[in-house]
This record gives sequence, structure tokens and C-alpha cells, in this order.
Amino acid sequence: MQTTLTALAVIAVGYILAYLVFDRLRDSFGYVGGAEYIVIGFLLGPRVTGLLGAGQVQDLTPIVSLALGWLGMLLGTYFRLPTMALIEADHLRVAFAEACTTFGTALAALIGIFHYVVGYPWPEATVQAVTLAAVATLSSPAAIDAVTRKASQRSPLLPVLQLTARLDALVAVTAFGLILAIFHQGQVSPSVRPPTATEWAVINVAVGVASGVLFHLFLEHRGSLDEPEGSSRLFVALAGAIVVASGASYYLNLSPIYTNLVLGFILANSGGTHRDVTRLLLVTERPVYLALLIFAGAAWSPSSPELLFIAPLFVIVRLAARFTGGWIAGAVVAPPELRTPKLGRALLAQGGIAVALAVNYTQVRPDLNPDLILTATLVSVLLFDIVASRETGEVVDQATSDARRGDTSAPDPLAS
Amino acid sequence: MIRRLVVLMLLVGGAVLLEPLRAPTEGVIAPRSLFLFGILLLTADTFGALAHDLRLPRLLGYLVAGLALGPSLAGIVPAGVLEDLSMMKRLAVGLIGLLAGAELRLADLKERHRTILLVLVFEMTAVLAVLLGTTLLVQHWLPFLQGLEPGPLFFVALLFAVLLTVNSPMVTLALLTETGARGPLAKTTLSVVLLADVVVILLFTGAFSLARSSVAGTSEAATEILFGLMREMLGSIAAGALIGAVVTLYLRFVKRELVLFAVVVVFAVAAAAEALHFELLLSLLVAGFLVENVAPVRAEPLVDALHQTAVPVFVIFFAMAGAELQVREFLAVWPLVVVVALARMGAIFGSSRTAARIARAEPVVQQYGWTGLVSQAGVALSLSVIVADRLPLVGLAMQTLAVGIIAFNETVGPVLFRRGLERAGEVVVS
Repeated sequence: MQTTLTALAVIAVGYILAYLVFDRLRDSFGYVGGAEYIVIGFLLGPRVTGLLGAGQVQDLTPIVSLALGWLGMLLGTYFRLPTMALIEADHLRVAFAEACTTFGTALAALIGIFHYVVGYPWPEATVQAVTLAAVATLSSPAAIDAVTRKASQRSPLLPVLQLTARLDALVAVTAFGLILAIFHQGQVSPSVRPPTATEWAVINVAVGVASGVLFHLFLEHRGSLDEPEGSSRLFVALAGAIVVASGASYYLNLSPIYTNLVLGFILANSGGTHRDVTRLLLVTERPVYLALLIFAGAAWSPSSPELLFIAPLFVIVRLAARFTGGWIAGAVVAPPELRTPKLGRALLAQGGIAVALAVNYTQVRPDLNPDLILTATLVSVLLFDIVASRETGEVVDQATSDARRGDTSAPDPLAS
Repeated sequence: MIRRLVVLMLLVGGAVLLEPLRAPTEGVIAPRSLFLFGILLLTADTFGALAHDLRLPRLLGYLVAGLALGPSLAGIVPAGVLEDLSMMKRLAVGLIGLLAGAELRLADLKERHRTILLVLVFEMTAVLAVLLGTTLLVQHWLPFLQGLEPGPLFFVALLFAVLLTVNSPMVTLALLTETGARGPLAKTTLSVVLLADVVVILLFTGAFSLARSSVAGTSEAATEILFGLMREMLGSIAAGALIGAVVTLYLRFVKRELVLFAVVVVFAVAAAAEALHFELLLSLLVAGFLVENVAPVRAEPLVDALHQTAVPVFVIFFAMAGAELQVREFLAVWPLVVVVALARMGAIFGSSRTAARIARAEPVVQQYGWTGLVSQAGVALSLSVIVADRLPLVGLAMQTLAVGIIAFNETVGPVLFRRGLERAGEVVVS
């Protein structure tokens, strides 16, 4: 009895302290994360108080898969084709260049670390490197949105940053989904021939497409969100759809985030429900993200000491990749009116999908350093989310003042 | 609707097609449980809408969906999956407990205390007396009373009667949420059901210890059990007060992410309840009541947040409850089930009408008050599990019949209550 009461007291005090610390950071740096929820999860989990034992943490799988799928689906709904068609080509070019360069740089560095420094064979090194490169590529729109809300004037850079954050997520989730399919883990029934890597990749997409088509039919002709209890009923149907799609992915040991991204993309581009679906997903994004943080905190355990150096190294790799990607996109690819060599600085926040990818990895690849991937991700998310808002604000302010001065003669970095 | 049913069938068909590609990931997650949980949610949502179109309570649709997919009928959701998802059900019970407590307002209790008290006393006394009489009358057909001496026979029959006196806070709250009813019938029913829940747990404590001591023939064990259960009861109230204080502090100083906070509180309390042996539902009910009525903070934000979670929580709870219904056991004893259930319903009808008339309650309460007291669900089922676990000699056979009667009341009760609310003109959301 005393142990349980002590545990409850530890959680209460821990939460209050974490809340106070991060509240201060919120005031000083415009911090937009929810690190106190990682703390509360960690305190509840088996490593500290044990109020949530390892078995109970596993019992939360339906909620966690819902959270993973929720974030994946929300990401998918951003890519509504009629809206995408209105985006300027220059913006798309900058965003794609940033996403691909950041991913490529991070991947090259991480493969080097895992294969040449730590000594993993190519397949294992590739899976871990791609996962962490995907995490590194992600940039959260939350910090950008926070700056947008605060900004007195509309900066021309903000739409580019918002688009870039979304394309970063698209590249990251697609790469992560594909790598889990290509280096598929697990055996199939003896009665069937094991699918090849290409076949797994096709199955991965097919599950998402089939879910999308079926749930498009399922959700069509539902009541609107404005009807009484409309949002609760849509929530149930969406939750069911996401859990089924995530369950099918887990069933095949694939990524539910990727499956739900495809599902969200199809729902956003078909039928009349896309507005209600997107609105509901947006309204519930924060609690879902925070629930995921609590789970990540509860499931977190320090990785083996000999590999612990990878976590700080990953932060450096991400910083380098982000700056390189930002420089290539902002200084080389961007047209003069959008030229911002420090574009990468404005994209430091990582946010929910990064944690979602790491949690997903721990569930699908428990055999390959899950604690290391989760540790590196949480460390990186905590650090970058603290400084991100301020950095984004500075870059945007600079770009706004440049635009106001009509300073299109920004130095061309390739001119010399 | 047909389109949705076709989609559901295609989903199940798709699951069968994927079966050979299944990767063994046991010990990490239970992918099958997850997938089937999603199917259960979607089916419950579809059946709920179907029930609504037929002017029946949605929760009946959720129950039927669970029953249709559960181990008793199609077997698409097997018992193991339900066990895997038991945490979800506990979460649902906890959130509803917190909401139910917060919905019980001291002002309403004061305003209609005469009606509530009279209905409570009359209904419980009449139901207990009628069920005890009926049980003794049909004792030769009841397997759990066979071979018992007159003393033990009486106490076991009393325990059976007390078990079936329980109402259902879950069904009441689900229907009030669904219909948006806030009139005198809704308020009186909710107060009676919640207070009756507390009284019945006390009565059950006494009846259980008497039955156990008479069957085992030891009074020492009975005292021990009685003390144990009393400690559990008082512990729940004390825990409720503590949780209420924590919730109050949170509402006072933080007041953010209330849905998430409520979920975390329920998980933490569920873990503490298991370790410290107190009742999850009762403690959260007390906590909700104290926050709403005693705490020096505004509880509306919390109540609003809990209302947001109510519909998904009801879908989960009733779909899983439906999946747990035992059709085969019901079919084996259905004549007895019908006799006992009708006797109970008759007692509720007569006693609550009489009590409401004596209390000079509003005409709608006099006429339709009884309809809200027929339903039974989670609390009654958990008490029947306690009887089966701790009194196996007679408890297992008693549980079979009790579960059949609870299933009957769980199905008929919501329909009656919805009709009652409709006729009383209290349904806001049709």
C-alpha cells in the first residue's frame, strides 16, 4: 500500500515539477512541445513507479496504434490535390529540395555510423539509418504555426515553411514505410511463398489504398459535424477505420503510419467528408500527440551503454543535415525573392510524427535496437522543440524585413 | 446502411485473405486483437445507427453488434481478444464513473430528495422481496439451490435477489447522453440509480458474507469477508476523496488537456485500485461527485471534456459487453430468466409508481419513472463474477442464470427507458 501511495506521490510531484519547468520554457522560448507528458509517462512506467507495468503498457496498444494512425492520417489529409495544384512551382521545388537533401545527408551520415563505426551488416545498418534519417527529416508545422499566429505581418517565407514541413513528413513516412516493407521482419504461413521485397512494398501500398477506398464508402453520407454529437459519432467511425487500418499493418508487420497516410490521402481527395474528417483530425491532434508522448515515456528505457553515444551524435547529424538541406533549398534552389540560406534553422522543430515513427519502430522491430532509436528520437525532439520556435521566429523576421526592404539583391552564394 | 454492411463484410473478407501473410509478433503487440477491435467499433457504430433509424437506443445496436461478432455467435471476436482489450473496458468504466459522479448535483438531490428517497426505498425493498419470494417459489428448478439446507438456501436466495436488485448507471448515463434529456424524469432516474448502486454494494457485502458463512458453516470466515468488503467500500470512498482533491488541484492550477488528464487519472486509479483493493467505479463516482458539489472550483470544463469522450466510451463498453453475452447459457435457462425478469420488472413498476405518487412527484415521474430502473449491465455482471469466483459451490450455477437475466434486462431496459423519456417529452436529440 505504501509503495503504491509513494508511486502516486512521485507521479504527482514529478508532473507538477515538469509542468513548471516546461511552462517556464514555454514563456521564455515559445516552446510548443509537451515534454512534461513524457516525464509523466516515464514516472508511471515500469522503470520508475511501475504503476503501469510492462504488460499494462502493452495493453495500451489500441490507444497507441490509434494515435500513430491518427497522426499518419492527418498528414495524408494535407495532400489534397485541388489545393496542391494552387501551390506555386517555386515553393514546391524548394520544399522537395529541402526534404530530399536533408534526408539524403542524414542517411549518408547515419549509414556511415551504423555500418562503419558500430559495425552492423548492411541490412541492419540500413533499417536503423533510414528510420533515424526519417526522424531527422521531420519538421513540425507547430513551431511555424506558432510564429504565424504571432507575426504581425505575413512573411512570404511562411507558406514555403509550412509546405516544406509537410513534404518533409511525406518523405520521412514514405521512406520509413518502405524500409519496413523492403526489409520485412517475420515469417508467413508455410502454405504460401514468402513475398519478395518488391511484393511487400506493393502490399504495403495496397493495404492503404484498399483501406482508403473502403472507408471512403463507409464514411460517405454520414451526418455533419454540426449535427448534435456529430463529431463524437464521426470520431468513433474514424477511430474504427484507423484502428482497422493500423491493425492490418501490424498484422503484416508494416507501418500503420504509412498505411494511414495513404488512407488519409484518399479520404481527403474523395467524396464530401474530407472537410469534416480534416477538422476533426486537427481538433484532436494535440491530445493524440500528448497521449503518444505519455506512452513513449512509459515505454522508454535507456539503450545499451555502448550505443548511447549515438543519441547525441544523432542530434549533431540532424543539425548538420537540416542546415545542409536548408542551404541547398534556400540558397541554391529558391528564387531570389525567397532566398533564405538559413532555411534549415526555421525547420528545427520535430513534433509528433517523429515520436510516432520511433514508437512504431519499437513495436515493429523489437529485435533491432528499439531503445536506441526511441532514446535518440526523444532526446532530439526535446532539445529541438525547446529552441525551435525562437529560431523559426528569427529566420522569418529576417525574411520579412528583407522582403519589406525589397532586398532582392540578396547575396548569391554561387556567384563567387 | 447496406453500403456500410457491405464494407464491413469486405473488411472481414480482407482479413481472411491476409491471414497467410500474418507475421508472428506475439509478445510485442496483439495485431489480431487490434484489427478486430477496429471491426468491432465500426460494426457497433453501424448497428447503433441502424438501431437509431428504428427509433431504438443506439446502445442496443452496440450490444447487438458485440453479440453478433462475439464468441457466442459468429466468433469473429474470440474470448482471447476480449481479454486483450480488457484495459479499454476498464478505462470506459472509469471515465463513466467520473462523469456519473459529476452529473449528480447536490441541488437536484435537495430539490427532489423526497421523491428520490421514497423511490429508492420502495423500489429496493419491493424488488428484493419479490425476487426472494420468486426464487424460493421456483427453487426446485434452480440448480444452485439444489441440495441446500433451509438456512443456507434462504441466504443464497437472498444473495441472488440482491445481485439482481442492481441498476445500471452506464445504461442510464448512455441514454441521457444520447437523448440529451435533462427533465425531471432524467434527473430523478439518474439520482436513484447512482444512489441505489452504492446501497446495493453495501447490501451485497452483507448478503454475500451471510451466504458464504452459511454455505461454508463458519462464522469466522464470514466476519473476515464482511470486514474485507467493508474495508473495500470505505477505502473506495476515501480514495474517491483523494482523487477528488487531486482533480480539484489540477482544475485550479493547470486546467489544460482535460480529456487526457481524465484518461491518465483513470489509468492511475485503476492500477492503484488493483494494488490497494478498492472499487474503481465507486471511487471515481465519489471523486466526480465531490469535484462537482464540494470543491471550490468550476467543474464544468471537466464535465464538458468527459462528455466529449462519452460516445466513444459507450460504444466500446457496450460493444464489449455485448460480445461477452453468453447466448448458449441464456438459451438453456430462458424460461427461468423470463419468469424472474418479469417478476423483477413488475416489482419495479408497482413500487416506483406508488413511491412517486406518495412523494407527489411530477406526473411524468409517476408514470414513467419505473422505465429507467429496469436496465442492468456492468455492475451486476461484476458482482456475479465475484459470486462465481469466491463462492464456487453455488456461485457458478448462480452466475449462469444471473447473466441470462442481466442480458435480458440489458436489452429490454434501454428500450423501455427511451420510450419513457420520449413519452415524458424529455428527448432533446431525436
